[in-house]
Amino acid sequence: MPNRLPLLLGAAALAVALILLPHQLSFSQQEVLVFLVINVLVVASYRLLTLTGEWSLGHVVMVGVGAYASALISKQFGVWVPLSMVLGAAVAGVVAFILSFPLFRMKGFYFLIGSFAAGEVIRLCWKKFRYPFGGPKGLKSIPGFPDITIGETTFAFWNAVNFYYLALIVVAVALVFLYRIEKSRLGLTFHALHWQDKLAESVGVNAWRMRMTAFVAASFFAGLAGALQAHYLTTINPTMFDVEPMVYVLIWVIVGGTATFYGPILGVVILTVINEIVLRELGVDQARPLFLGAILILSILFLPKGLESLVPKIGGLWKRRNKDDGNSPGGETEKA
Amino acid sequence: MSELFYKKGLNRRRFLQGTAVGAAMAATSVPRKTFAQGESVKIGFLAPLTGEVAAWGLPGLYGCEIWAEWVNAAGGIDIGGEKRMVEFVSYDNEYDPSKARAGAQKLINEDNVKFIMMLGGDTMPPVVDISNRSGMLVSTLLPSDLTPDTPNLIAPCEVHPIYNVTGVEWLAENHPDVKTAVICAQDDALGRPSVATYLAAFEAAGIEVISDPLFFDYSTTDFAPVMTSLMSNNPDVICLDTSYADFVHPLMEQAYLQGYEGKIISCTADFYEQIIEKTSQEFVEGMIFQFPDFDDEALNQSQVNFQNPNDFYAEYAKRWPGEWGAVSWEYASIMDLWRAGAEKAGSVEPQDVLAAMKEGGTGLHAFGEAQWWGEDLFGINNALVGDWPVVVIEGGKAKIKEFKSIPAWWDKHGDILVKHMDAMGEMYYQRT
Amino acid sequence: MLELLLQTGVNAVYAASYMALIAVGLVLIFGVMGVINFAHGELYMLGAYSVFFFYVEQGLNFFLAVAIGMVFVGAVGLLMERALFRPLRDNPLGGLIASIGLLLCLQSAVTLGFGVRSKNVNPPIQKAVGFGIDGVSVPLQRLYVVIAAVALLVALWLFLKRSRFGWALRATAQDSEAAALQGISLNQTSRIAMFIGAGLAGVAGALTAPIVPTEPLMGHGVIVTAFIIIIVGGIGSLEGAVVAAVLYAFVHTFVTTFFDGTVADITGLLLMLIVLVIKPTGLFGTKERA
Repeated sequence: MPNRLPLLLGAAALAVALILLPHQLSFSQQEVLVFLVINVLVVASYRLLTLTGEWSLGHVVMVGVGAYASALISKQFGVWVPLSMVLGAAVAGVVAFILSFPLFRMKGFYFLIGSFAAGEVIRLCWKKFRYPFGGPKGLKSIPGFPDITIGETTFAFWNAVNFYYLALIVVAVALVFLYRIEKSRLGLTFHALHWQDKLAESVGVNAWRMRMTAFVAASFFAGLAGALQAHYLTTINPTMFDVEPMVYVLIWVIVGGTATFYGPILGVVILTVINEIVLRELGVDQARPLFLGAILILSILFLPKGLESLVPKIGGLWKRRNKDDGNSPGGETEKA
Repeated sequence: MSELFYKKGLNRRRFLQGTAVGAAMAATSVPRKTFAQGESVKIGFLAPLTGEVAAWGLPGLYGCEIWAEWVNAAGGIDIGGEKRMVEFVSYDNEYDPSKARAGAQKLINEDNVKFIMMLGGDTMPPVVDISNRSGMLVSTLLPSDLTPDTPNLIAPCEVHPIYNVTGVEWLAENHPDVKTAVICAQDDALGRPSVATYLAAFEAAGIEVISDPLFFDYSTTDFAPVMTSLMSNNPDVICLDTSYADFVHPLMEQAYLQGYEGKIISCTADFYEQIIEKTSQEFVEGMIFQFPDFDDEALNQSQVNFQNPNDFYAEYAKRWPGEWGAVSWEYASIMDLWRAGAEKAGSVEPQDVLAAMKEGGTGLHAFGEAQWWGEDLFGINNALVGDWPVVVIEGGKAKIKEFKSIPAWWDKHGDILVKHMDAMGEMYYQRT
Repeated sequence: MLELLLQTGVNAVYAASYMALIAVGLVLIFGVMGVINFAHGELYMLGAYSVFFFYVEQGLNFFLAVAIGMVFVGAVGLLMERALFRPLRDNPLGGLIASIGLLLCLQSAVTLGFGVRSKNVNPPIQKAVGFGIDGVSVPLQRLYVVIAAVALLVALWLFLKRSRFGWALRATAQDSEAAALQGISLNQTSRIAMFIGAGLAGVAGALTAPIVPTEPLMGHGVIVTAFIIIIVGGIGSLEGAVVAAVLYAFVHTFVTTFFDGTVADITGLLLMLIVLVIKPTGLFGTKERA
């Protein structure tokens, strides 16, 4: 039990911090925060797929599938938005299931590019078919998330802070699911596939089925993230899901590191803060890609295992210092 | 320092010498430095400054810098007897809707701007939402952003693509031998409504379009097959629609190399002198388009409201050689209109300025007095429409041949345009 | 109609030529170093800007500028090998990420240095060469690209098959550990592969600068096409890359002419998926890598 306490306290402190956070930020930072939370789900779901050792370049298109599906379902059929979001995510899962048949015949680099091609075909179809996808301009006037009234107060979700809380809850629940999957027998099998796929297959693991399962689950949560995006922005278009945002997802995940659950999340949080807040504050608008590229190169050269590899080091330093102090028994929990 | 970075050559050389970071920071922070201090009115510039669409934003910001310097040097704008300086605050939206939303929030709530200028398109829907809630006045270069639900959004300069009818009308009047046409365009928010407009204009002028409009993808780099396909029907005129400069140039070059001898009409011919270099003066001679050089004498006529067009062009060319294009002056011309509205209202508050601008249903457009119009096409009278110049290349130089009235064309042929817009799915009630 | 078919065929030959130059370089780098060079499109872009700088701005002879561009971009390749790919040799995704970082830096640097608008590069001689058939012709500039592609690719083939370095390169591409045991220096083969691969992209960019818009993001579309080609051909196979470039260029050009560009893109991607489903290692690929 003594081991559990600091963890619980830490989680509680994190929750309080996340609830207070938006009120410390400026209006535009609140907007950045909303998309940051949604992107946390994008990278965390991406990691589930990477557990099996396969890297996809179609993940952002899956985000788009969820966004388009949820937008169309709610807009064309008047389905209640919270329900359409789940349906949108499910559509992304189904699309992933169908794509599993051709794609998981491939491995490694072939899968990487194969997933890109499959995603790009879907994306070009959104562009090509103006009905129902709206063509190059995409969809507009997507219904927003319905207001919620509790007692006297009404929460309207066009407001960034309110939508942030909504996204926070959805993403937190999704993260719990993703974490449980990873720690389950299934998750362990994914790991086994990654490191020893021939061996795993020889003891009866159906590699295709495992990869398919990971791909479908990852796409489901990616689709959910897309649905959040669609109903917040009320507009989506094919360019939002092209290869450029996909490259950013790769960057976030790899700079963060994929060995731990929190690695990709660390990556997206830190890089978003640097790109959207620090660099904009510095007033280097046009030179932002230059700085971001340099950061990327430096981090891969000097932190090859990702930002996550710093965490145990910092933790170690902290422990050592507490020991030197000698007389602060609950030091760790206090800080957390 | 700022003087140094206005000259692009120096900028580049210094940059290449290895002062990359310093140069980048200095170059990008110029707008902040050169604008006036103190009790100034802030105007938001929310457009793409990086990425693939940057060419539609950045050159406009340069034009606004010149505009602000000149206005401030002359004492600023007169608001109810008080002189106020004008300052631009820019936010790079990367042509991404989510960043446009963040930018609009920042400009309105943190920078306290009184007016926001945008390119529009993909980035507009979230900003319209915010503008409707806050009452912020927003301008766009793309009138296809207008719907009945955008009361605070105005298209006060470029009523793209409607003015393209003037070029076709002029062509039919002056070259009655032209009987057949073909059209190509990139498949996007600019290309499609423009194709509908040209189809209507050709129909109204009695010119037959002999093959389906050819749409090419934004990522196309090889235009040989496109031109081969266009020329296969031996048209009298090839219409390049609102193809971007990066497409117009290779298309013209291919037409030249594949031996095309007919007429060419286009919405724009940015950097046409480069087209001449790549082809020949004889080949480009007679090309019809819609965007004059601002050193054109015809712009000094009294009905033109753009302030000192010839000087503006010279100053721009001096600071940013090779960057002049339609967007270079358009944002600045919108500022002229905004200024007139604010001075008339005696206030810089968005709703006051909007009311003053639209008072009487007419406004001072860059090319002359014009009417607030658009009900039939956009569902709202928030587009400023009047005369538009028809420009023809003569002797290797763009010349304004005539200012033609868009409303006059519309009164005669409006139904044809609505028919084609509807068929293309570009009417406001179809744009969902 | 026949003329249209012939003219489209001529257009396709040009498209195949410059795509082959780019794809072969990409394959070579991947084969020898195992690195997916995402910045390959930017090397192509640098080649085009070299021509803009040396030919347009400095007024050098066009072909001299192309040669300088090729060597310059090759040198950038050497720098990439030394500064990025060598330190990351044991990190399977490291090279990919480093090249993405470099891509962002190069695009941004060129934008800041040369502006967002595309640059105008005039061909040294603007004229079309006919074949004696009415309505079928090829611009001289495009002919240069075709000639250069054929010459360089034949030279590369001879180099790989006949020279000692080429032998070492092929050995490394087959099995780098075994090659190292044979006393082949991985550093040296990597340098050669990187110089040649980058140089080919550079020369492709340099020669096409007067044909396509020379702008900071011009590598964007090229890299996607190049990836499709090397996958269809089978990664690691130079012959495969050339065959796939020809195949892709013909399909894409004909579909663009007779349907439209977006349909052509979709067709190209579907073609690739079909090849992969039937033969998951590409047309000429023999084993799974990466």
